[in-house]
Amino acid sequence: MDKKKMKKNVGTLNRREFVKKTAITAGSVYAASNFPNFIGSAQAASRDHILIGRPNPSTGPLAAFGEGTPWADEIAVDEINKAGGIFIEKLGKKLPIKIKTVDTQSNPTKAAEVASQLILKDKVDLMLFYHTPDTVNPISSICERFKVPAISLDSPLEPWLEGGPYKWAFHAFWSVEKDIVPVYTGIWDQIETNKKVGILMANDPDGVAWSEVFKKAGAEKGYELFDKGRFPYGLQDFSPFINDWKENNVEILLANLIPPDFITAWRQCQRLGFKPKVATVGKAILFPSVAEALGGDLAKGLSTEVWWSPHHPFKSSMSGVTAQQFCDRWTQDTGKIWTQPLGFKYAGYELAFDVLTRAASLDKEAIREAIAKTELETIVGKIKFNDQNYSRTPLVGGQWNKGEKFPWEIKITYNEPYPNIPKTGETFSM
Amino acid sequence: MIREPFKYRWLVLGALFILLATLPVWGSDYMLLLGLLFCLYAALSQMWNLLTGYSGLLSLGQQAFIGFGGYTMAVTTSYYNINIWLSILAGGVTSVLLALFMSLFIFRMSGIFFAIGTWIFAEILLLWFSNWEYVKYGTGLFVKPPNPPSMTMIYYAALTMGVVALATVYFILRSKIGLGLMAMRDNEEVSASMGVEIFRSKLFCFLIAAFITGTTAGVLYVFQIFIQPYKAFAIDWTVSLVFIVIIGGIGTIEGPIVGSFIFVLLSQYLSEYGHISLLLLGIIAILIILVAPKGIMGTLQEKTGFELLSPRRLFSEEPM
Repeated sequence: MDKKKMKKNVGTLNRREFVKKTAITAGSVYAASNFPNFIGSAQAASRDHILIGRPNPSTGPLAAFGEGTPWADEIAVDEINKAGGIFIEKLGKKLPIKIKTVDTQSNPTKAAEVASQLILKDKVDLMLFYHTPDTVNPISSICERFKVPAISLDSPLEPWLEGGPYKWAFHAFWSVEKDIVPVYTGIWDQIETNKKVGILMANDPDGVAWSEVFKKAGAEKGYELFDKGRFPYGLQDFSPFINDWKENNVEILLANLIPPDFITAWRQCQRLGFKPKVATVGKAILFPSVAEALGGDLAKGLSTEVWWSPHHPFKSSMSGVTAQQFCDRWTQDTGKIWTQPLGFKYAGYELAFDVLTRAASLDKEAIREAIAKTELETIVGKIKFNDQNYSRTPLVGGQWNKGEKFPWEIKITYNEPYPNIPKTGETFSM
Repeated sequence: MIREPFKYRWLVLGALFILLATLPVWGSDYMLLLGLLFCLYAALSQMWNLLTGYSGLLSLGQQAFIGFGGYTMAVTTSYYNINIWLSILAGGVTSVLLALFMSLFIFRMSGIFFAIGTWIFAEILLLWFSNWEYVKYGTGLFVKPPNPPSMTMIYYAALTMGVVALATVYFILRSKIGLGLMAMRDNEEVSASMGVEIFRSKLFCFLIAAFITGTTAGVLYVFQIFIQPYKAFAIDWTVSLVFIVIIGGIGTIEGPIVGSFIFVLLSQYLSEYGHISLLLLGIIAILIILVAPKGIMGTLQEKTGFELLSPRRLFSEEPM
């Protein structure tokens, strides 16, 4: 383009230019006027409901925990709203609850981001979230920052407490040191062994925390522990571990790892002829789908922790439905056998209902105070938060065996810490 | 042919800056969050663009600096009670040291081997941090500064990083080094024979990118509060940065800004859709690549000549 032409265009406005500029201006004005609507839509809503934020690991490696979330959400919300919802004193009327579920992608970074979104954009009144430190830790911290009342369940206490002291976040679950260790060593004590324990734990928060705690506590109880160190996810060859246990005549297996790794490891144990008398496996065999996936009779006799089952003598504080009836309903609706997280998913709503009813207010401070004063018999047991904002839930031990209704069923075989939870079987040597 | 730069560019940029700088005054809390994420992603992607789009250094290991900077900040402020802003700067400094160490190995490689080299370094760091007792293994660390900053303060820190990243790229590209970099990207042998100091220019960019990425990561984790090695050193970071730069326009200064804006809005909006959110993000990326292969800003530049910040200096008085 030569200079003359360029100069000619400067300062003049022909028809084409005019149309173009008008269109651009109109477009940007339209976009600008709509922009606040797009990002601020939820703020304008008047108070015709109470909003509960539900960040959930719907995708990613924790998706198995997230299974059943929509089912339990629907039941609980229906129960609360059937009677018109929760009475709010200031408004002089009952408001129904609404939930907003967002996906954390099993990623703590994403979890913090979506939790902030729920607080700042949707202005949730209460945050309710579950499943593992990757979900519970970042969201608890975000709720602390923005001073939003938060209730979380289903994640070991120790990693959660690292983020304390908490003012706004409350948590209920079991402790590795105070609950897992007594249950696992209790199961070991039920069987006659040489007290030699082989450790197989992944390099993740659970594996690291468990191995540290067990090495100390196990030695105190007279057990000899053989630990070849943490291993990364997806390991294909466990023979160095297995050969070490065989050489040392190990009779007890103590493991905490993810299901696919346990399937690989346990099959290799069989192939290499390592047959312990007791195998206590955390995390990997919580779900019946994994017991099935092991194939053959490989799941028979494996022990694990049981945080909740249909045999727990608890019932819903909202509907009076027992744990057994709740599980039956799950089986009826989905055709699947119950899983341990189910009760906790529902219990979160029991807490929310109880707290909001007692607060009778949408004021965040009033809700926080109501949570602190909670003392409720839920479907997962009694929940009463202490001055560190947590409540321990009961833990017993169980063992997988061939089932009657389903291919594999877990029997409760160790209940010393909580004798009110009945035993449904006796621990047998593998 | 050379086009005249967009006349009102300083006005537009100034207005954008004033808009962002006064956001805490006029915007809602949620807009502050969006602004914060936008600035952080813009700074991070600007640095990836500097390496890949201008210097020809295809890095798949930006997460090494994100994790390293984040952990440095978390450790110094939570373990030693050091002022939070100093801790963030410390994250930048340790990232530069890391980059210097990395350069001993990966600067002997080029092209795809360089890319894999950077990625392997990030994976090594992941394994190291997840096996290191000092940082509590894979359990993760909570960031507990002695005086927790408010959202507004974190926002201004993020804005600073966004502006610093933009200015750095702009001035580097318009300097002698920048000219050399672009020549090098287009043809390394020829540019070397014309006197471009390849090794020094590359190293300079790599260190600058490490510093800004590490510092930005510090601000990011002050906002996040919780850092955990499996995600801090995850390739996901670089994947997001690639997405931002590709849809915005690789090799343009405005590209990462437009890309970050779209990315932040999309990821916020799509998080409600659970399972299909990632699918939708992928489809959008594919569509943009098909319709506008050079990204939004790249295609706009090609078709209309619109350019806010040109890496080229214009000698309008001299005939080209």
